[in-house]
Amino acid sequence: MSEAIIEVSQLTKQFKSKTAVHKANFKICRGEIFGLIGQNGAGKSTLLKMIGGLMYPTSGEIKLFNRTVKDSHPYFERIGILIEHAGLFPHYNAYENLDLIAISYGLTSREEHINKLLKLVGLDASNKSKVKNYSMGMKQRLGIAAALIGSPDVLILDEPINGLDPQGISEIRRMILELNKAGMTIIISSHILEELSKVATQYAILHQGEVIEHHSREQLLLQCEDRIEIEVEKASSAVPILEQHLNINHYKVISEHVVYIYDSHIENQHIIKSLVENGVTVHSITKHKQSLEQYYFLARTGSEGDSHD
Amino acid sequence: MINIFKMDFHRFKTNKMIYILLLIFFAFQIFGIYMLKTYEQPGENGGMLISTMNESQFIQVIMAQTPSWMLVYIAVFSVYFYMSEYSSGFYKNYIAMKNARMYSVLSKILITGLFTLFMFIVMFIADMIGRSIFFDHAALGDGGYLAKLLIGQFLLHWAFSIVILCISIISKSLIASIVVGFVLSLNVLGMVISALESLVGQVNLSSFLLVNTIVSPRDFHHINDLIHVAGVAIVFILLFSFIAVRYKIKEDLR
Repeated sequence: MSEAIIEVSQLTKQFKSKTAVHKANFKICRGEIFGLIGQNGAGKSTLLKMIGGLMYPTSGEIKLFNRTVKDSHPYFERIGILIEHAGLFPHYNAYENLDLIAISYGLTSREEHINKLLKLVGLDASNKSKVKNYSMGMKQRLGIAAALIGSPDVLILDEPINGLDPQGISEIRRMILELNKAGMTIIISSHILEELSKVATQYAILHQGEVIEHHSREQLLLQCEDRIEIEVEKASSAVPILEQHLNINHYKVISEHVVYIYDSHIENQHIIKSLVENGVTVHSITKHKQSLEQYYFLARTGSEGDSHD
Repeated sequence: MINIFKMDFHRFKTNKMIYILLLIFFAFQIFGIYMLKTYEQPGENGGMLISTMNESQFIQVIMAQTPSWMLVYIAVFSVYFYMSEYSSGFYKNYIAMKNARMYSVLSKILITGLFTLFMFIVMFIADMIGRSIFFDHAALGDGGYLAKLLIGQFLLHWAFSIVILCISIISKSLIASIVVGFVLSLNVLGMVISALESLVGQVNLSSFLLVNTIVSPRDFHHINDLIHVAGVAIVFILLFSFIAVRYKIKEDLR
């Protein structure tokens, strides 16, 4: 298993009477693309700002590279951040903005490094236009270059596709995948699960400041895969019939009475017929088709329901 | 620290706004001298004509006028230099580095000091040129006295820039900081406290206020006046630098 390079435990941030993040717990391993999903105001930016060293937790702990960090710690330098919008001087051009950051990091061969980064994010190093004249997509790409100046191990991107057109979204996605391929761990937040699902390998759903679910990519896709849900008298009696009579191998026993079947080629009638003929009582059978967005919505509403109980 | 200062200095020297402010200040300083010559009244300023004053006396007369335009320019620069970085969110690119919060404030304190120094240089040059043109002389007077006056006033003005920087850091508002800077330049606080003191009697706290010290003419031959000016400047520099650094270290950055 990969080494956990970021670990948050019971992380809480309170603003006067409002709890922005409540006892968040999760680990992020090296090389992962960690997707943080949550609607606007769920606490994503606050959580990321705490991990990036911009905000201080009210309580709880942040471990970076296996060390507990507090206040101004050198490990925060190993995290590049692009939170909410790119922090750039509008009256400077791309090169000048990056040059200022490179000076603050004390880089020696600045020109070479900056040109390399501009190339990586697909911006023209010879473009002398001021940042204020850039499109949203160009600003975001420049923001990513700015976050990469210090050659970080981890890159935090908060809503990087907000306000972008489809081409801009696709460019950012390509860039994220390229950086990850080069070994960078990436944390990316969004309120659009469908978009995150194209890049992330791990997911945490944040709702009203709480991490309500945490899944790997496989687990999440399994949740949303087309399936037939059957409720029977006894699942253990049904399984041999599914395997032997219907040749179903892709299934999962959820409980004593419930089985999920992921072989979509089987018709419901055939399943009922085989089970009944072999003496298994079927209580219900339903075809289940759920999009990622539906799943996310249900996870949220489920959490709200729980909190009301 | 040195890298963050280098970054701020790079921004300082490549920013046209700084040169524009200095140029406008230069032009108004020359214009001010012309106006002083045009409306010069015999018998004012202890019977001494402004046109017969040396540079030290002339600076004291100019600085005693409120609002102090030099303070206004310094306030505008201090607020602009800090708020342009804060509003754009540029600080997020480097603030997570070790001790960067403290170094960022210290660096800005040094930059405002540098701007204040440039203001004094511009003022001195403008005085020399303006007085040569309109008063037909540019006598410096006692060099030692002039040096003490310039150093003392520089420290007081630098302290003022740190006060305004501290207000900008805490208020996070460009308009509020500029308004406070302008009100302080008018020495409203000093006048109010002086008025209250005159009612109470025997109290003289207002003389220790920063802007009051700047606008009150002093005799820099007297050690007491020298200590008073240096003391007020150093206390304000240290106190407001400490508050600004402390606040920035504890601040949750949005």
